[in-house]
Amino acid sequence: MNAIEIKGLSKTYRGKRGARVEALVDLNLDVKAGEVFGFLGPNGAGKSTTIKLLTGQLRLNSGCAMLFGVQVSDPDARLRLGYLPENPSLHGHMNAWEHLRFVGQIHGLDAQRIKRDSQQILELLELDKDAKRPVKGYSKGMTQRLALAVALLPDPDLLILDEPMSGLDPLGRALVKDIIRDAKGRGKTVFFSTHITSDIEAVCDRIGIVVRGRLCALENVAELLREGVEGYLVRYADKLGCQHEDLIVRDRLRERLDSLLASGATLDAIEPHRRDMEAYFLQTVKDAEACLS
Amino acid sequence: MLPIILMTMRCFLRDRILFALLGAAGLLLLLIPAMSSFSMRQVQELSITLSLSANSFLLLILATLLGSASVWGDIERRYTAGLLGLPLSRRSYLLGKFTGIAVFLLACCAILAVAGLAVIAIAKSQYPAASDPQWWVILLASAMIGLKYVLLAAFAMFFSTLSTSFFLPIFGTLGVYFAGTASQEVFEYLNSDIAENLSPLVKSCAEAFYYILPNFSAFDLKVQAVYGLPLDAMSLLGTLLYFLAYLAVLLTLSVWLFERRDL
Ligand SMILES: Nc1ncnc2c1ncn2[C@@H]1O[C@H](COP(=O)(O)OP(=O)(O)O)[C@@H](O)[C@H]1O
Ligand SMILES: [Mg+2]
Repeated sequence: MNAIEIKGLSKTYRGKRGARVEALVDLNLDVKAGEVFGFLGPNGAGKSTTIKLLTGQLRLNSGCAMLFGVQVSDPDARLRLGYLPENPSLHGHMNAWEHLRFVGQIHGLDAQRIKRDSQQILELLELDKDAKRPVKGYSKGMTQRLALAVALLPDPDLLILDEPMSGLDPLGRALVKDIIRDAKGRGKTVFFSTHITSDIEAVCDRIGIVVRGRLCALENVAELLREGVEGYLVRYADKLGCQHEDLIVRDRLRERLDSLLASGATLDAIEPHRRDMEAYFLQTVKDAEACLS
Repeated sequence: MLPIILMTMRCFLRDRILFALLGAAGLLLLLIPAMSSFSMRQVQELSITLSLSANSFLLLILATLLGSASVWGDIERRYTAGLLGLPLSRRSYLLGKFTGIAVFLLACCAILAVAGLAVIAIAKSQYPAASDPQWWVILLASAMIGLKYVLLAAFAMFFSTLSTSFFLPIFGTLGVYFAGTASQEVFEYLNSDIAENLSPLVKSCAEAFYYILPNFSAFDLKVQAVYGLPLDAMSLLGTLLYFLAYLAVLLTLSVWLFERRDL
């Protein structure tokens, strides 16, 4: 079964005086169980809108969306979901323990498990020292960590994270990547939005790029990285012993290597030279924008 | 739903503003024996009136503030994003929140009622009156005050589910309160001889309003409490049923609207 199924999803916001914003247009997307899916797009592309539709906060204008085969309009669709909102905001009068207990209770977990898992997750996210303080006094990064703890507490089969890295220090970012990898290792599905491409290479199986509410690329990351090999960086010493570095385009590698070896050079290293994810992302966005306007 | 009720109440208990309000009401009550003594004859009657009014006034403020801030405030502060991303239906969220507010209002009402009784007893001991106060009637009048403001809080919450700012909930609720308090009088005026030359359109509009707006005067037992008049059980039961029916309609409507709202 697919963890997420989206068919023909559209969303138009209606503002004051009849202003309309087409935030999402006919989105079709399936995310398989066990997959880590990165949802990319520039600011205002419709990532958060998609996520809000999936978590039941917005009404669908048309189309349908399901989590593990349950329509998103049904609260039961969120039984197996852990959700981290964009710029999360938590009740200032409550402390971390109380938040986690509340969420555990809503998920119907028993008190003992809530206590044990809360302890573990607070330690993992390095919040255990501040867990008894009211959330009012938390910094942005700490709030983000606590919101992540809230999403992780029920050990959900699906994690939907809206810009999980925002507001975090480098340690926090590394931690989030670890958490995502760990979830994948345990067969969980992760769907997260970002506009930072380096996050993608590290953890994603697949990515989708959305521009102005339209999905304009859907790629397998491993393939993308393989295809993205534009050439090879070859390091060698010629027969006089001088070190050289040459960038050789993909199709001519064989030919150049043959001639190098024939000239008596010794090879030190051959490294694939990739067009990086960032360039790919920027190019896709540029093409899509040109196409749309 | 229980966790959300408890969370709502816990957050009220940690709010300093609410304690300040309760403290102010307590002070007001303490002033009553002194103020009552100004009226030389009717010290007991006046102290009953004043303590019921103090209770009423505090609950008016609380019901308006808590009800208005409930849903709109949670949306404004973006608490709803996290809350409704849980496997929690909007209906449970709304009803849980309302129950929390209602229990809190009733608890405040009970505290003030008991404090009021003490104050009345003090006033009475200073200037003994001809007849003993009817304690049960006073308590019942306080209970009715509680119900009245629970109903008002439901109105505030109804406006709060619709609104994107504090304006509609606060002023809408106050509007409903004043119109609902006056509606019985207006209705009686319309049906009297004086109103004969009013145009039928105005009359039927006013009547429509009478039936739509809550009739808060039905909850008013002040006169009975002050003079120890006998109570009519049937009319009390009627008021109770009226309260329940009205509340059910309001909450159903609020849930229906809230389920269709974008956050
Ligand atoms: N509540 C709203 N009312 C009107 N327009 C909105 C609302 N929320 C988002 N939008 C618009 O929808 C588009 C997509 O927004 P969003 O999904 O938040 O983008 P992002 O990809 O940065 O998360 C933007 O143009 C934004 O201005
Ligand atoms: Mg966003």
